[in-house]
Amino acid sequence: MVQFNLPDNSKLIDGDYYKSEKSNGNIKKFKIYRWSPDDEKNPRMDTYEVDLDDCGPMVLDAVMKIKSEIDTSLTFRRSCREGICGSCAMNIDGTNTLACTKAISDMKGDIKIYPLPHMPVIKDLVTNLKTLYKQLKSIKPWLMNKKQNANDTENIQSRNDREKLDGLYECILCACCSTSCPSYWWNSDKYLGPAVLLQSYRWLQDSRDEERKERLKELDDTFKVYRCHTIMNCTQACPKGLNPAKAIAGIKQMIAQQ
Amino acid sequence: MSAKNTWKLHRWSTILLLPLIVYLFIKIIHLSTLPYQLILSELSNLWGVGFILIFTVLGLIHMNTGVHEILDDYVHSDVVKKILNVIISIFFLLILVFVCLSLLLIFIG
Repeated sequence: MVQFNLPDNSKLIDGDYYKSEKSNGNIKKFKIYRWSPDDEKNPRMDTYEVDLDDCGPMVLDAVMKIKSEIDTSLTFRRSCREGICGSCAMNIDGTNTLACTKAISDMKGDIKIYPLPHMPVIKDLVTNLKTLYKQLKSIKPWLMNKKQNANDTENIQSRNDREKLDGLYECILCACCSTSCPSYWWNSDKYLGPAVLLQSYRWLQDSRDEERKERLKELDDTFKVYRCHTIMNCTQACPKGLNPAKAIAGIKQMIAQQ
Repeated sequence: MSAKNTWKLHRWSTILLLPLIVYLFIKIIHLSTLPYQLILSELSNLWGVGFILIFTVLGLIHMNTGVHEILDDYVHSDVVKKILNVIISIFFLLILVFVCLSLLLIFIG
């Protein structure tokens, strides 16, 4: 059954306040979720004052500034800083997005930053994405083509067939969509979630793939696909502007037509 | 039933119920203007009985699949889910029995 009460040591409390040295600068407050597995303390919200005149324009710039200049213990993932790797996915101002592509100027007032919702937290803003990667592996996200392997020749694809992959191949697996989906929150162990299903649809749409039937047979399950109730949070959350809900609808249509 | 067929059944029952619901509203408004004896005769003719039966069966199929979706979403214990499934099935069966009995009573006067 759904668990309604949180364990006592999971309740969020107010944390430390880090005041900026400059008192008259362009100051913005960042309230950041902090939790460490090393102690048994409750998670807390630390507040950091950041001078925006001395900081890059994106949220990731501010978070990196906090780590390098104010509090080195702050833990988060980041890599490319240009919306390609998906490492810095976090919940900023109530929306799952990439810290590197979210401009500070887009938000009014204090900026609250949490880890991706409903995921086990490893530390601070770092979540455990093991389940998601396991689910990704289960859909076999690679081209399955026996002919090509046998002949070792070029596998030609028409322009039209290639265009079918637009809006699908761009997914960077940041998990913003899956972690914004209430269905995935309740059934993340069985429901594949929007990110993985978008990937699945990418391979189902690939004209060079020969295992479409098998892939669809695998997906025809009460939980894997049909927990999607077109809530559309995934589409709203996707920082790359993709439409996982449409992809899931496409999968349902393909299964129905079989 | 496979997940695909359950999904199809839920969608088809929705599509079929839409015009029936519109007709039902129009019919209720029309019946509300009639005297009691005329209402009974309207409901006891073949079309009236047929409509109510089709509407009830389709409605129950739609509700049943919908409620099972909710159970799949929120109830994670298989035992609790099975118990709830039985209770819900009995409840829907009782509704169907009551509807049939009511129609029979109207039909035989």
